[in-house]
Amino acid sequence: MSTTVAGLAAKKGYTNVRVFLDGQPAWIKDGNLVYASKGFVAKGNIVLIDLRASKKAAEGRIARAVSIPYDALEDRMEDIPVKAPIVVYSDSAEEMADAYEDLRDEGYKKVALVSGGFAGWTKGGGETVTGPVDTEVNWVRKLAKGEVAQDDFIKVIKGEVTDTIILDVRTADEAASGGFPGAVAIPLDEIGSRHGEIPKDKKIFVHCTTGARAEMASKELKSKGFKDVFYLVANCECEGDKWKFED
Amino acid sequence: MRKQMLKFLPLCLMAALLSYGCVQTGGTEDAAKAPAKKAEQAQKENVYKGKVTGKSNKAKSISIVVGKGDKAKTMMVKFDDKTTGVDHAAVGHASIIAYEMRDGQPWATVIKPKLAKLPKGTTEIKTAEMAEVIAGDTKIMLIDARPAGRYKGAHMPGAVSIPVGVAKKNLPELLPKEKDTLIVTYCGGPT
Repeated sequence: MSTTVAGLAAKKGYTNVRVFLDGQPAWIKDGNLVYASKGFVAKGNIVLIDLRASKKAAEGRIARAVSIPYDALEDRMEDIPVKAPIVVYSDSAEEMADAYEDLRDEGYKKVALVSGGFAGWTKGGGETVTGPVDTEVNWVRKLAKGEVAQDDFIKVIKGEVTDTIILDVRTADEAASGGFPGAVAIPLDEIGSRHGEIPKDKKIFVHCTTGARAEMASKELKSKGFKDVFYLVANCECEGDKWKFED
Repeated sequence: MRKQMLKFLPLCLMAALLSYGCVQTGGTEDAAKAPAKKAEQAQKENVYKGKVTGKSNKAKSISIVVGKGDKAKTMMVKFDDKTTGVDHAAVGHASIIAYEMRDGQPWATVIKPKLAKLPKGTTEIKTAEMAEVIAGDTKIMLIDARPAGRYKGAHMPGAVSIPVGVAKKNLPELLPKEKDTLIVTYCGGPT
């Protein structure tokens, strides 16, 4: 992508065109900051964090922001889902950079800053709200295409939905240690040769232990002509006939 | 002797294809096209080239999207301890996976990253220099070439969003007047 645009610019006679081939992932990996755009801050499915003192946040903050003063951030991280995209802002550039680094160190992969912090936001005409602050993090992941919600998957396990099949794509060893009642177990790497064992007229719900293999298997099944295939993204532990999920 | 020559023939064809892919000279293009096509067909039988969309270390499987547009297909390939370069297959990155068929299944033999080629008249910039330029006073137009949605979520400081589709339509209007302005483009890593 970057090379295509650079090539076009060079063709138009621009003499000083360079390509940052390693791109944004290398930029981030090297400890550099990235920024969210205004629309994403205002409307994206994010956890927006106001790092300033709660009193300041009450006097004026970006709508939807959760007040987590920087000093409390470390303690509050357990309330923030690890998959959530996070945008932080403050009135101190240093504090924003520190929070960014702390969050990344803690395993959050999608972290960005509001450009210019709170001052940058208001200067750019961004809307603000006043009044008592929110401290609760309420974030729900949006399902990807082909993904089944945990609650709906549980209904399938309980047999509350008809014409369904649970497909377990873990390894044979994993499946032997426990699984969902009535599940068909075919390891991911055998889907290609054994998909004939799966009835085509039923809704298929695929699971593994995290969702990675389930997603691959459901794509594989779709390419083999299966239509109603859904996969579960959740940390899923089975022992005997007991099971539990975690996000 | 003759047999030995035949053995090397696929190698020669592959070499011809590779050199064709890297050096894009305008004049010889047509002449080079015919043999390159043949080599491509021969090569297609044992190489997947495309973006890795899934990798499971437990199932020792990689899924990779080959082909473009309507012809794009997700292929599943297995790997084992003998596969070299497994780390090069990372989700979201482009890879070249050479494989062999065993028990009716493709098994990866060698995995290499698919490296992007620099267009004519451009040079590469690395992360450290990038950081220096951004922190410094040099006038720069930093272009994020990823889809706009990706830009919105997180982008480099001062970057503007010009996805490839937009660039193809009206890049000239979006670029600065001075043709010697430093322009840097980036996306989500080597693709």
